[in-house]
Amino acid sequence: MFSFDPYSPAVDADPFPYYQQLRDEQPCFWSPEAQMWILSRYSDIVSAGQDWQTYSSASGNLMTELPGRAGATLGSSDPPKHDRLRGLIQHAFMKRNLLALEEPIRAVAQEVFGALKGSRQFDFKEVSSQFTVKVLMAALGLPMGAEAIVDEQTVRDNAVLMVQSDARTRAKGPEHIAAYNWMQDYAAKVIAMRRAAPRNDLISNFALAEVDGDRLDDREVLLTTTTLIMAGVESLGGFMMMFAYNLATFDEARRAVVAKPELLPDAIEESLRFNTSAQRFRRRLMKDVELHGQTMKQGDFVCLAYGSGNRDERQYPNPDAYDITRKPRGHLGFGGGVHACLGTAIARLAVKIAFDEFHKVVPDYKRVADQLAWMPSSTFRSPLVLELKVQ
Amino acid sequence: MANITYIESSGQTTTISLNDGWSLMQGATANGIDGIVGECGGSCACATCHCYVDEARLGELPAPSAGELDMLENVAAERRPNSRLACQIKATAALEGLIVHLPEMQE
Repeated sequence: MFSFDPYSPAVDADPFPYYQQLRDEQPCFWSPEAQMWILSRYSDIVSAGQDWQTYSSASGNLMTELPGRAGATLGSSDPPKHDRLRGLIQHAFMKRNLLALEEPIRAVAQEVFGALKGSRQFDFKEVSSQFTVKVLMAALGLPMGAEAIVDEQTVRDNAVLMVQSDARTRAKGPEHIAAYNWMQDYAAKVIAMRRAAPRNDLISNFALAEVDGDRLDDREVLLTTTTLIMAGVESLGGFMMMFAYNLATFDEARRAVVAKPELLPDAIEESLRFNTSAQRFRRRLMKDVELHGQTMKQGDFVCLAYGSGNRDERQYPNPDAYDITRKPRGHLGFGGGVHACLGTAIARLAVKIAFDEFHKVVPDYKRVADQLAWMPSSTFRSPLVLELKVQ
Repeated sequence: MANITYIESSGQTTTISLNDGWSLMQGATANGIDGIVGECGGSCACATCHCYVDEARLGELPAPSAGELDMLENVAAERRPNSRLACQIKATAALEGLIVHLPEMQE
């Protein structure tokens, strides 16, 4: 009997055979383990992502939601509230407004990856996590250097932990909740600092923002800031791990992008399609929906399996091949519709610069281990450790 | 379902049958129409799915939201009275046969 349990270590390690079976045989599947419907075909996911009136995010968008978070963040609210929150911050994330960050990001990349000079073997996570936190600190305006209130690694560790869940209890464990609470406390301190002495940075602007004379309430400011830190650090870090994993695995692709760094954007897009870290998000039905002979009831939760839609042969020919010449337009690596990732432009920019600088120091490498330990998460997927051997 | 015709600046013309609820941007990117980029994925945050809607039918579309009007100020090509963002126009049977022209550049 087929089952799909997003809490099982087997799905953490390799969800793709399960996805294939879901798409072919049960494209609208009730998972008793997850207590939700799983949509796995590209076309169904795009349709659901568009229809926010039916597929609501207001009960939370993480597969395993954090307490008290739903309804106060961008990803866990519906229009018009969503549009109000998003309108406040999206200008900061537009491509043309990120140009000023290009130089600081490159400086961070040169510093972090430059330290690998002479290494024979290293865990990519060590370097990618340093890079990610420094970039996000610069982009969001988190206190760094002399005004830092904690060290960067602590921010990173908590961001990573709060998105995980316990495989046995299928819920957030005490350590995950503690990380989430830590991040809220940290965000509250940063917000207080910026309110007391505003600067020209994202968190200052957001903390003081008013829309039509209506100031955001404290919970919205706090939880949205918490989420920006979590999403930025975890998603960017997770995606960099997956990109390094792909390049270390597929020799031809790695050699191509090292020889011609201008191919990096194409390789990044293909990685977003092939095995992006953001695998599954959740919605809740506002009315009954009939799909593929099933009736999903109002109030039921639905998983949008982006990682499966990206491997749907109905949309992408030969989907299980990692092909950097594919140019997979319309992929779901950043989700889609009103909730498509806010950070697409900065993610693309930061990853391109990171790997450009990484490859100048380490142009050839391969994976040390065949089998990897994968993060226990029902939403995200990336390896916990990625040992690379310099060739 | 609605058949939507996209005319690129080169003159290349493609008609696509769009599922109800899909945006004109998603129809284009899922079907290989290069004149629309859609970099932000449809959240009205990048202005790279700019299109010119057939003027005779402009009035049939729901009016642009404040967010779309704001983002239309950022389009790369000339903004005209019939400029819209394709990610904000959703297919319905009422749009059957709609023609949109795509600008020369999106970025």
